[in-house]
Amino acid sequence: MAVIVLVEHTEGNIKKKSFEAVQYAANIAQKTGTGVTAVVLGTVAEAEMTALGQYGAQKVLHVADARLDELHARAYASALMTAIQKEDSKVIVTLHDINGRAVAPRLAVKLKAGLVAGALSYPDMANGFVIKKAVFSGKAFAFVNITSDVKVISVMPNTFPLQSIDGKATIEKLEVTFGDKDFGIKVKEVNKVKGEVSLADAELVVSGGRGMKGPENWGLIEDLAKEMGAATACSRPVADADWRPHHEHVGQTGGTIRPNLYVAVGISGAIQHLAGVNGSKTIVVINKDPEAPFFKAANYGVIGDAMEVLPRLTEAVKRFKETHK
Amino acid sequence: MNATESVNAIKGGEFLIRDTPAASIFIPEEWNEEQLMIAETCTNFLAQHVVPNLNRIDEQEEGLMPHLMEEAGALGLLSISVPEEYGGFGKDFKTSMLVTEKLGAGNSFSVAFSAHTGIGTLPILYYGTEAQKAKYIPKLASGEWKGAYCLTEPGAGSDANSGKSRARLSEDGKYYLITGQKMWITNAGFADVFTVFAKIDNDENLSAFIVEKGFEGLSLNTEEHKMGIKGSSTRQVFFNDCKVPVENLLSERQNGFKIAVNILNLGRIKLGGATIGASKEIITQSVRYANEREQFGRPISKYGAIRYKLAQQVIRTYASESAIYRASQNMEEATEHMVATGMDEIKAKLKGTEQYAIEAAIIKVDASETLDYVVDEGVQIYGGMGYSAEAPMDRAYRDSRINRIFEGTNEINRMLTVDMMLKRAMKGELDLMGPAQKVAGELMSIPDFNAVDEEGLFVKEKKYIANFKKAVLMVAGSAVQKLMAQLGKEQEVLMNLADMLIELYVSESIQLRVEKLVGMRGEEACKEHLDMMRVYVNDAAEKINKSGKEALNAFAEGDERRMMLMGLRRYTKTEDLNTTQARRNIAAKVISENKYCF
Amino acid sequence: MKILVCISQVPDTSTKIILKDNNTAINNQGTTWIINPYDEWYALIKALELKESGIATEVHLVTVGKADVEPVIRKALALGGDEAIRIDADSTDSYQTASYIADYARSVGYELVLCGKESIDYNNGTTGTMIAELLDADYIGFATHIQTEGNTVIVQREIEGGEETDSCSLPAVVSCQKGVAEARIPNMRGIMAARTRPLKVIIPTEVVAVTTILSYELPPAKAGIRLINPDNMDELVELLHTEAKVI
Ligand SMILES: Cc1cc2nc3c(=O)[nH]c(=O)nc-3n(C[C@H](O)[C@H](O)[C@H](O)COP(=O)(O)OP(=O)(O)OC[C@H]3O[C@@H](n4cnc5c(N)ncnc54)[C@H](O)[C@@H]3O)c2cc1C
Ligand SMILES: Cc1cc2nc3c(=O)[nH]c(=O)nc-3n(C[C@H](O)[C@H](O)[C@H](O)COP(=O)(O)OP(=O)(O)OC[C@H]3O[C@@H](n4cnc5c(N)ncnc54)[C@H](O)[C@@H]3O)c2cc1C
Repeated sequence: MAVIVLVEHTEGNIKKKSFEAVQYAANIAQKTGTGVTAVVLGTVAEAEMTALGQYGAQKVLHVADARLDELHARAYASALMTAIQKEDSKVIVTLHDINGRAVAPRLAVKLKAGLVAGALSYPDMANGFVIKKAVFSGKAFAFVNITSDVKVISVMPNTFPLQSIDGKATIEKLEVTFGDKDFGIKVKEVNKVKGEVSLADAELVVSGGRGMKGPENWGLIEDLAKEMGAATACSRPVADADWRPHHEHVGQTGGTIRPNLYVAVGISGAIQHLAGVNGSKTIVVINKDPEAPFFKAANYGVIGDAMEVLPRLTEAVKRFKETHK
Repeated sequence: MNATESVNAIKGGEFLIRDTPAASIFIPEEWNEEQLMIAETCTNFLAQHVVPNLNRIDEQEEGLMPHLMEEAGALGLLSISVPEEYGGFGKDFKTSMLVTEKLGAGNSFSVAFSAHTGIGTLPILYYGTEAQKAKYIPKLASGEWKGAYCLTEPGAGSDANSGKSRARLSEDGKYYLITGQKMWITNAGFADVFTVFAKIDNDENLSAFIVEKGFEGLSLNTEEHKMGIKGSSTRQVFFNDCKVPVENLLSERQNGFKIAVNILNLGRIKLGGATIGASKEIITQSVRYANEREQFGRPISKYGAIRYKLAQQVIRTYASESAIYRASQNMEEATEHMVATGMDEIKAKLKGTEQYAIEAAIIKVDASETLDYVVDEGVQIYGGMGYSAEAPMDRAYRDSRINRIFEGTNEINRMLTVDMMLKRAMKGELDLMGPAQKVAGELMSIPDFNAVDEEGLFVKEKKYIANFKKAVLMVAGSAVQKLMAQLGKEQEVLMNLADMLIELYVSESIQLRVEKLVGMRGEEACKEHLDMMRVYVNDAAEKINKSGKEALNAFAEGDERRMMLMGLRRYTKTEDLNTTQARRNIAAKVISENKYCF
Repeated sequence: MKILVCISQVPDTSTKIILKDNNTAINNQGTTWIINPYDEWYALIKALELKESGIATEVHLVTVGKADVEPVIRKALALGGDEAIRIDADSTDSYQTASYIADYARSVGYELVLCGKESIDYNNGTTGTMIAELLDADYIGFATHIQTEGNTVIVQREIEGGEETDSCSLPAVVSCQKGVAEARIPNMRGIMAARTRPLKVIIPTEVVAVTTILSYELPPAKAGIRLINPDNMDELVELLHTEAKVI
């Protein structure tokens, strides 16, 4: 009856957000008096897997098939189904990210199970199985009750702070018989931006709007981001004008992000923009117009010209890093 | 609609002596799904193509405006009411009005659009021969060619028939050679086709010609530097023995002034539509700013002084809009009726429009002055930012001002309103005499000072409006009697009468609109609308009283004057109304919706 | 190739969410409804492009909703599409929605099902994947570019930290986002044609929902802003460290 959790890794390194998913599963296991079984797919070293015990996994089911190093959602689903049957699981946890979103819905269908996509709370089991999630791109939250016997939950990354414990997971190999369609998708080409923080996962984000005036000024944003170790984002008109690549566009019709810190520079704070970033824990707004609506949604505000403020802020971060080494 | 109905339809100007049932008018709350989709396309077009480029447009970036016109053309927006056989969509008048309204929020683009689709296209569409239409209309409808209209001259503005441009037949009889100078020509910088007015030889009246950009002898001056609508191309156009093939004479010789007047009738009501579109956008911006801007620790939208302005912007816009679509519907129905009885469609359109020329002139004045009020208070609500060239009010304020000048200045339109009304009475088309005498008789009888005691949502306002009509009939009737032929020279009195007619027509329009709306949605859903109606009619009473008093004091004397002033007071009397509370309610609604929402 | 495009109706992006009935429902009074932007701007337009280039033979639009969603479907038809299907049901459960669409899609047989990467109301982004599972088809999510070659669809898509190019054979389901196509404004011709294009209503065989929304909550207001002098960025950094604890 263990809670099953899908663990993701990049080139063998288990991602931090997967620890969050494991910890989430552990919370449910504790409430339901069951355990946590993590499913790891592809090539991962044993030590990495054992360490999942620190977040509450008792057991790892490892499918050591190198084809699974790439996302093959149907194969992932088959592997998870094998694990679910083996463990007779009633609750399955994945992340609400690109991979999780390709896999969790397939499981939900196979199991005729209710799915909460993007969980923001642990389930409240006093009144059913109720989980909070964002709706209307963060303009509201819904409390969703899963009414089926089996439950699938995809957890919003960067939502549940990690607390490690002492613990080691035992590793078991899992044999899976894949169907002929499981590897139907052929990956032709992969282009990963190396070294840069990916926006969806970033804890710190520096974002620029039309107030940056033009692509030629983005060096200021990049300098600050680099100094802070932050990812960069932008408002929609900025991406529309091709000042920045489209994947940086955040908001209601772009990416939704929930970093710990969102620094908005020269962005007015239109409702559509806020919708994608209002889950950020702390918001800093730099804008020369004191009436900019964004100030109403911010924790810290700097009224000033971005061209002058940004270099100063970058310098300040540099000084801070030197004194806090 | 059946034929008998429209035999009974209210005639142009007849509103002064006859009541209109609310059910018979068209109200904008009745737009159908298709019309709303068209409106949305216009709004999206502005949002995506025009608004982000307003600065570039105002700098007259080379090629930008014609490109935008072509984009609008590709969406079909330049040919809404052009018949299908010329590549248009053959939509009714109201739909083309709706498009004009929505695009009216597009500043200089709106002017280019209106000039092209109105004065740039319609003369050819309405008066052209088959061959002329086949040659020019499809290209104008698609936006491939842009149109302009050359009437005004350095010495001939309001007095358009006095132009000095002359045309003479070439020796071989193949060309008219036009010589003259036109000024203030909208779209001139990029137009391909010009409708040009000139007198042939020593004719008394103007003739009209279709002139292509490439015709020998046509040249353009540089762009005028203007107060507003800076992105709209405005130039002088020079004709120096400009060679126009004889087949490009539009309509008959000496029919030009008629063409100009008829096209203006349409242009005036269309201008009303465009300004209302702009007003709505300015209100939305004003409310947003008022909700965001904080002073003394609260958003300024919490302050009564600001709420008053917002409410007043809304009331005037809603009222003007009521009049515009009421008259548009009248024009359309009249046209349909004439077509149904066998008239050629285009002829019917012209006649239908001409029938409501009084209403068109009223609307031109009222809606352009509404926009001026709305932008003026918009600037005020924005405070210092209203005066900044970086905030939207600066452009709106400057751009609005032209609307009181072109398509006939508001003075000319005020005079026309009264002039046309009286002419129709002379011709026996409108029986003003009978009703005016009745009012005169009533003045002698014992007044009924009783307050309105009937129950009903609209009883009071209907009674007030019936009284407004009496007030106008009384003052106008006596002015005609006293001043006779001199009336035309007593312009102040004409202005007073025009103002009274405007207030009457708009009051009645908003009253009928709200009455119909309450019938559709119920009273509960129309609380703010009812407030708007009450405030508007209440204020109209004061204005009619003031104008009437001024007029009477100007020409009447002695006991007669005293009696009429008393009558005027009676006809403009309203019961006490807490207009402050009503305005607060209206403002509260737009403030909570954060936009113009009626 | 026959393409099915999934369309959903969502509140306009500028809508403020207001709750009612003790926070158990959203107050939709006065809401302007739009086509989910990802469906409209990308999935639908891509399907139309495929038709315009002769690759697709027919483009159908499908939505699950009651009669009140029809204006929005006709808006979609104004952009293009040969016919629309409204599956007559009210659903906030993606399993239920996906089942209805899959049942219908199976009955017709489409080579390609296109949907938006998520709907901006419930933000699940799960319907497309579920449809794929129900149809036993491949699914490629977060597409930024789509092309077809014979019986294969080639998709560039977003992955963690980059992009990859995938291909799979048809039938397949692809969810679309920015890059796939350029948004269009419906033109007059399309708007007028929308009325004449068929809009079929289908009564589905009921599928039981497996989730229900019990209540809603609005995000808490921000506690109030602290303004920092632009000349004192050290203070800001210090606050981010000691007070906000984010660096
Ligand atoms: C259907 C729809 C969906 C949308 N989806 C999204 C979305 O997903 N994401 C999104 O971002 N937008 C979205 N928008 C657009 C949104 O409404 C706004 O138009 C957009 O967010 C504005 O971008 P901005 O803040 O960069 O630009 P602006 O609104 O132009 O703001 C620029 C800001 O920069 C400030 N500024 C100017 N110069 C300086 C300077 N030197 N120093 C400091 N500050 C300066 C100005 O004061 C201003 O506040 C959507 C709109 C619609 C209609
Ligand atoms: C930006 C712009 C675009 C234009 N576009 C075009 C165009 O595309 N095509 C075109 O043909 N024209 C166009 N015009 C010209 C416009 O129609 C005229 O400017 C207008 O008719 C007024 O004429 P006027 O400028 O000669 O003013 P005048 O006639 O000199 O008027 C000056 C003042 O005197 C008043 N007045 C005039 N006569 C009387 C009277 N009898 N009694 C009382 N008061 C009177 C007027 O109301 C006004 O207040 C445009 C003008 C502008 C400014």
